[in-house]
Amino acid sequence: MERKLREYEERRLESVKLATQLLFASAVTSPRVGGIDEISIHCLETRDEIEDLAIAIDKMADDNPSWDFFRSDAVQVRDADAVLIMADRRSGHDPMDSSCNLCGYMLCDEWRKAPRMPDEPSVAFRGPFCLLRSMNLAYALNGAVSLARELGIDHAIKMSVGAAAIRMDLVPYKCGIALGFLASVTEKNPFRDLPKRWAEYNNETLQNRLIHRLFPTFRSIYS
Amino acid sequence: MAIINSEELLRGGMDRAVELMAVAASTALKFGKPKIKIVAMGPEEFQELSDFCAGLAEVSPLFDRDGRSFVDLAAEDARALLIGAKRKSVYNYDCGACGYRTCEELNKAETTESVVINGPCCHFVVYDVHMAASAAAAAAWRMGLHCRVFQTIGGAAAGCGLVEDVDFSIGVGVSYQPQNPFFDRRKYWSEEEWAEKFAAEFPSFTRGFMGAVE
Repeated sequence: MERKLREYEERRLESVKLATQLLFASAVTSPRVGGIDEISIHCLETRDEIEDLAIAIDKMADDNPSWDFFRSDAVQVRDADAVLIMADRRSGHDPMDSSCNLCGYMLCDEWRKAPRMPDEPSVAFRGPFCLLRSMNLAYALNGAVSLARELGIDHAIKMSVGAAAIRMDLVPYKCGIALGFLASVTEKNPFRDLPKRWAEYNNETLQNRLIHRLFPTFRSIYS
Repeated sequence: MAIINSEELLRGGMDRAVELMAVAASTALKFGKPKIKIVAMGPEEFQELSDFCAGLAEVSPLFDRDGRSFVDLAAEDARALLIGAKRKSVYNYDCGACGYRTCEELNKAETTESVVINGPCCHFVVYDVHMAASAAAAAAWRMGLHCRVFQTIGGAAAGCGLVEDVDFSIGVGVSYQPQNPFFDRRKYWSEEEWAEKFAAEFPSFTRGFMGAVE
């Protein structure tokens, strides 16, 4: 690669690291219900970590008939330069005790006794969770989104990332629910203008099909 | 140009700011497309909310404190943006977070109605509404307004029927006063009241020795 272009690529990746740290700070300092700490945020910055997550998401697509969109999500995760995972470590076992009824149980004690979803592949999050607590995830996500908009960084929020992160134990033990934030510093936003069958027709599959498979045959025949 | 006095300027600015907050809430990043209701309320409604909160003061110290402060907010021309939605899922994630296996089961589940919130709610509807509230607060902050997101405003507004046709709602209070009225509100508790509550909640704080007989 031309030296100047290599320098450009390296600087781009440095800017991703710096931006991720700022997004992390904004997510941490966003408001919390009752001012109680309960969200932890985890960064995936290396290609290997992001690739492992993408593969896990792709595999999960088969676990539930409603999760076809996980395949496209896996491609988007692979295109992201950094992934933030927001996890809630209280909402599964330590309700707010305000009996708010968001979860559908009039009293928090009823919620405590409620049966939990089974540990099965088709279940992403083993609810019910305390919603008054887990809404902190929305504040943490919007903390990152708000700054990303200001910095002009392409971003997306994904439920599939959180579901896979829990299965991969990327979040603290006993975190029942997590959500993902993808950031990308590239010229074309990789999370917008996606064809309907993005899992089949994306940069990687086109590269594989056209350049690595068809063109060598074309070359062999016509050169 | 005619001279415009500060009162008129601040009120006009506040009206525009609340409109822009609603725009920010509407365009906030969301997981899907839930039907989110956004309405604004003014000082008269704060008075109404204060009366509602006074009724809940016995059971909830949170409503007690906020109810006391709403009287002052009403006098200071504060406003609030109310954002709410219906409880049902529109996402088809089938994720299990609500305790039902599929979104369809959640949507068919019997609604449990309470004074301020009807459940069970889809987690992602709640996230979308609260990300909208957070975006409205971020917009207010950028415009230089004092703001705070209040569960109590949302709950009391739903209880008073200020937002119609929603199962839950949240309020973003804003103020243009020289001093931020939403934080450091110790004036609403007398010193004796505070000492009494603290002693009741943290009785061991002043205990000198483990196992000591008092």
